[in-house]
Amino acid sequence: MSSALQPPTAHRMIEASGVHKWYPNGFHALRGASLSVHRGEVVVIMGPSGSGKSTFIRTFNALEDFQQGTITVDGIALSNDLRQIDAIRREVGMVFQQFNLFPHLTVLENLTLAPVLVRRRDRAEVEAQARALLQRVNIAEQADKFPGQLSGGQQQRVAIARSLCMEPKILLFDEPTSALDPEMVREVLEVMQDLARDEGMTMVVVTHEVRFAREVAHRVVLMDHGEVVEEAPPELFFTNPSHRRTRAFLDQIL
Amino acid sequence: MRAELFGSPGNSALTLALLAALGSAAFGLLHWGLVQARWAVVRANSTLFAVGRYPQEQQWRLWLLTALLAAAAGLAWGLLRSHPRRDRGGDLWPQNDWIAVGLLAAIALAVPWWLRLDPLIQGRWWGITALLLLVRWAAGHWGRRLPARVLALLPLLWPLLYLVGMLLINGGLGLLPVPPGDWGGLLLTLIAASFAILLCFPLGVLLALGRRSDLPLLRWGSVLYIEFIRGAPLITLLFLGQNMIGFLLPGGLAPDRVWRAAWVLTFFAAAYLAEAVRAGLVAIPPGQLEAARSLGLTIPQALRTVVLPQALRVALPTMVGQFISLLQDTTMLSLVGLMELMGTARTVMANPAFLGRNAEVYLTLAVLFWCCCAALGLGSRALERRLDPNPAS
Repeated sequence: MSSALQPPTAHRMIEASGVHKWYPNGFHALRGASLSVHRGEVVVIMGPSGSGKSTFIRTFNALEDFQQGTITVDGIALSNDLRQIDAIRREVGMVFQQFNLFPHLTVLENLTLAPVLVRRRDRAEVEAQARALLQRVNIAEQADKFPGQLSGGQQQRVAIARSLCMEPKILLFDEPTSALDPEMVREVLEVMQDLARDEGMTMVVVTHEVRFAREVAHRVVLMDHGEVVEEAPPELFFTNPSHRRTRAFLDQIL
Repeated sequence: MRAELFGSPGNSALTLALLAALGSAAFGLLHWGLVQARWAVVRANSTLFAVGRYPQEQQWRLWLLTALLAAAAGLAWGLLRSHPRRDRGGDLWPQNDWIAVGLLAAIALAVPWWLRLDPLIQGRWWGITALLLLVRWAAGHWGRRLPARVLALLPLLWPLLYLVGMLLINGGLGLLPVPPGDWGGLLLTLIAASFAILLCFPLGVLLALGRRSDLPLLRWGSVLYIEFIRGAPLITLLFLGQNMIGFLLPGGLAPDRVWRAAWVLTFFAAAYLAEAVRAGLVAIPPGQLEAARSLGLTIPQALRTVVLPQALRVALPTMVGQFISLLQDTTMLSLVGLMELMGTARTVMANPAFLGRNAEVYLTLAVLFWCCCAALGLGSRALERRLDPNPAS
């Protein structure tokens, strides 16, 4: 883990402010959460379970709705307008804890489905790109297998490649390594790290991987009880946090 | 095997008793079938059982259709073998196929002979069987050379063939019209069943999606329809269809009695199918739709390419079960006076010349239905295997 992080630019890719969300059962999941993410920036969100971190990043591509506050993604304000939601989803990729690969399609078809259907690109061209992406995440030889024939780590790398095939401007990661056996965590984190360093991809990552946060993140954010409690560069976040709740959280995981 | 059947004195006694019972039943059946039964009732009426009162001088159209279907079946069979799924191998001629070829040849030789069909007609059956096997061989042999574009279009052959078949049966476009009232026997059974199966499928999928829709009107409409249909016996609906449609539509527009019954079957089956599809939809994790949506697919795109293919695969065994009972439900059409297999059987049994030959007729019917249902079941199992994304498990 040598090469330096690319510095983020001033352009704001995600701007969320004062976001409140109540679930239909009345649970107040987000209580005025705010965050801004710049182009090329890697932001890691940590926090105890139930703190609303997954819910928060799922609002960024409208998988969850919210009742108060504003979220702007690459200049487009999230509203109930379905056209805008579709436009945003094309630009924002998401990697899930449970991979959510399409089990009835081959690995290659998982990658090519959306670019061909949504971006209406030429199939042969997308296939070539998909094979190159699979090469990059080191599973080129699995292209014609079905997801159920791969290990968890391989599946998650396919899921990352699937998101990349849409050429998104932002990638959201919702606990990408939590469902993996320990020996497979590393191969997934390495792919994510390469993305951040070589591509300068804008990434928001919900994870408990402290080492990843230390080495790859520009900023680490602590969420608790539905709000953002602390935001700091990793060297400060892990060694000298300003907030009591951050210290309590770090005491538990370190 | 030995331990299971003869493990203890009790088991041995039970095994012997069951064997004796089975043996005597088989002997009884054979004795009845070969010695006592008078099969003239089936032999004399084989055309009636096959096509009802379809005019003889127009029956060449049905022969042509049968030949086309045989060729299409051979083509599909051969192509499936020459294009095994990418992730697994497959022989061009697996052992099962040789068994199937042997069975087909035996049936084609034995049945027309046993029915004492006219030599000309026997020859036609042999020709059609030979055509099927020839196309199967050719498609297996040269199938790989077909360009991908042609291969992708080939499944469209089936709906096309269905339309051509209906045209041939019904007439029109220069062919002499044969009204549905003249269709009968196995022909009418297969027309009614295939029509209902083909149309109840899209209808059932739409109803299942409607039932899970966010729009209250759509949801409640679907629930109401499904619960109403499932709450009424088919026979009631059939009579209702025969009587009500006449009142609802102005005279000239009301469809023929055969089509009325076929529509009722369709609407009936759709409600049951919707519940099978709904069970399939419930089985798909919500993460699938989320993943599709986060890749930018619209809801119709996500349903079509991600959710429905998986849900329908889950629902397939139940759906085929419904199709099989639908096929058997066509016997109800005889109660509203239509001459499908059951109706034909009843007229034949009412003929004084064949008095008391009910057992022969019913057994023939049972075998015919069993063949059709077995074909549906075999086809669905093959389809399940081909769609299974995890061959290892």
